[in-house]
Amino acid sequence: MKLLKKSLAAVLAIALLLGMSACGAEKASTSPTPEAKTPETTPEPGKEQITINFFSNLPDRTAGQGLLEQTIIDNYMNENPHVTIKVEALQDEPYKQKFQSYVASNNLPDIFNVWGQPAFFQAVMEKGYAAELNPDDYKDYGFFEGSTTDFSYNGKLYGLPRNQDMTTVFINKAIFEENNVKIPTTYNELVEAAKAFRAKGIQPLSINGRDKWILNLFFQDLVIKVSGNQRTIYDASTGKTSFASDPDIRKAAELFKGLVDAGLFQDSFTSADYGAAQNLFLQEQAAMFYMGAWEVGMASNPDNSEHFRQNVALIPFPVVEDGKGKVTDVCAWNGGGYAVSASSPVKDEAIKLLNYMMHPDNWPKIGWQKGLVVPGQNYKNYMTGNENVLQVQLTDILNSATSMSGTPWNDFNPGDWKSNVENLIQEFAAGITTVDEFLTALDNVVPK
Amino acid sequence: MDKIRRNKFVIFFLVFPGLLVFTFAVLYPIFMSAFYGMTDWKGIGEFNIVGFENYRKVIFEDKVFRTSLLNAAALAFFTVFIQHPIAMFFAIITDKIGGKLESFFRAVFFIPCVISIVVTSKMWVNVLNANYGLLNKFLEAINLKFLKQDWLGHKDIALFSVIFVIMWQGFGYAYLIYYSGIKGIPEELLEAGRIDGANSWQQFIKITLPMLKPVILVNVSIAITASLKQMEPIYLMTNGGPGTRTQFVANYLYMLAFNAQKYGYANAIAVVFVIVCLITTVVVQNIFKSKD
Repeated sequence: MKLLKKSLAAVLAIALLLGMSACGAEKASTSPTPEAKTPETTPEPGKEQITINFFSNLPDRTAGQGLLEQTIIDNYMNENPHVTIKVEALQDEPYKQKFQSYVASNNLPDIFNVWGQPAFFQAVMEKGYAAELNPDDYKDYGFFEGSTTDFSYNGKLYGLPRNQDMTTVFINKAIFEENNVKIPTTYNELVEAAKAFRAKGIQPLSINGRDKWILNLFFQDLVIKVSGNQRTIYDASTGKTSFASDPDIRKAAELFKGLVDAGLFQDSFTSADYGAAQNLFLQEQAAMFYMGAWEVGMASNPDNSEHFRQNVALIPFPVVEDGKGKVTDVCAWNGGGYAVSASSPVKDEAIKLLNYMMHPDNWPKIGWQKGLVVPGQNYKNYMTGNENVLQVQLTDILNSATSMSGTPWNDFNPGDWKSNVENLIQEFAAGITTVDEFLTALDNVVPK
Repeated sequence: MDKIRRNKFVIFFLVFPGLLVFTFAVLYPIFMSAFYGMTDWKGIGEFNIVGFENYRKVIFEDKVFRTSLLNAAALAFFTVFIQHPIAMFFAIITDKIGGKLESFFRAVFFIPCVISIVVTSKMWVNVLNANYGLLNKFLEAINLKFLKQDWLGHKDIALFSVIFVIMWQGFGYAYLIYYSGIKGIPEELLEAGRIDGANSWQQFIKITLPMLKPVILVNVSIAITASLKQMEPIYLMTNGGPGTRTQFVANYLYMLAFNAQKYGYANAIAVVFVIVCLITTVVVQNIFKSKD
């Protein structure tokens, strides 16, 4: 009996030990992402093997921007057999959270995604976490005028933008035609369309309200269309004017509420995340989808149904009746981009990789020609005539734009401004606060 | 043997590893949290010491913190007064059934606890979705269209949906603890009761319930502390939304630290939260003790 007990105890002890070592091993290899494959070519003699850690916010490596990023990374590894690139990719919100913990532990990956917005990038540049880049390297890269402004600090360049971002209303033409609804060009038509679709039991417009920032963009679009002045919302955000007393902002808030009341956004929009909202549109369950220009790849992604790809289109944000904003006043900026860690042991190699990625022959050319992105660099020379319908329509809107907003207002101030105004707009959209309460609360969180 | 037990070196040798782990895994982090709670650290760069300003704000000014605590209280209330009676009821029933069916039901009730919270939470997000969710589709199919709701997005309903899912997830544990408690009641007692002519209800009230008291104490304390500490289901289902209607403390401080870059303030919340949990535990223990 004693022997049995002893052997049982021994077995348990071994099991525990094994369990512990298994945990340890797991930690070391945890990476929820597809690890980049090492090319099977033999390493060049004489060149030291190096590994570059790449931290990305594009977890889908098979479509859109993620596919483009992975393609270029694979090409680079094939051309430089001594380099191994390890990719770790997370969606935006988890990405930002993990980024914070990397920063806190001073353990940033060698090259990483950044958003060229004060709310995200300013502190990173200010505290010296990002490596300085040489602007002369990019003279011939064709970056659009002003697109690197938010990636610079004190006149020094720390990052590169990858796309031209713009808020976009994607529509499904078939749903509009089948239900005899006019494609909206004005606010009232948008309300009418919402009511008409609701009457037929169709979700008018899909939006990822759980992610909150999209609601801020929608609100900014309304403010632009009411006031006709791109500065209006920024002046209020910086305390030069006030949200509650600016008649244009108040009008925009009332219009926003009008759209919520008309049922424009899909049921349960405050709990829908990016994927859920987009799926609703891809499955042709919603007539419209409000998102950024980075989703133009939807029209060429073979995973989407043929019917969808033939019927997807995009329209400019509707103007407001007796508003001062024109259809050509758009909400556009340069958001996502890349930077290199200042403390990276392979800093020079990482910058080389960055320069390769953003080279005119790579990100802009491949991205544009494969219909994956709207690059933040001049892509006129890469027109093939085979662009997908979304790319063409988007280029038209961008080319005819008479004013662009720059960094979205919720990203305009550093610190907790972003999370404050994002919570406030979600409460407003969910009907928890009134127009007055919403505007007053915004004034209360403006940094003093 | 006694000699060995009294040897100070042996005592030290046996206690030291545990003490070491406790110091570095529990005491040190709490101490550091308390310190960071006195700073305005943003998680990046240098910081300034701001004294007890953060703590003052958490306790006297932070409405979201208060909402979070109230939500936890609501969850604890529903867990104790709805989940637990049901769990106890099923524990008694399964005990009565016996045989193969008994182990079958035992396994079935415990399944939600075995599956990862990520999986069950995401499943419920889909079931409760207003557009394509199973629940709304089901209501439509049985002609109860008027009951259809935006379960996770409506400002007044979302909290109850979240509470329901958390109760569902934790049901197995509550059930299992009651079940093992019931299994521990000597059969002779019930038999004696039966011989004396007690019916099932009387057996339950006069024998089972009093015998279960220690188990109930443990189970209720666990439920209350667990309610305070909820994090994963909230993060995965609503992230505290709409607005802050379904916010819970753990999720709130996580958001503050990692999204709003208010590390210092989030640490202050963490410390206040630890104190709240400790006080609650002591109060609950005392209530039960005084009743003994």
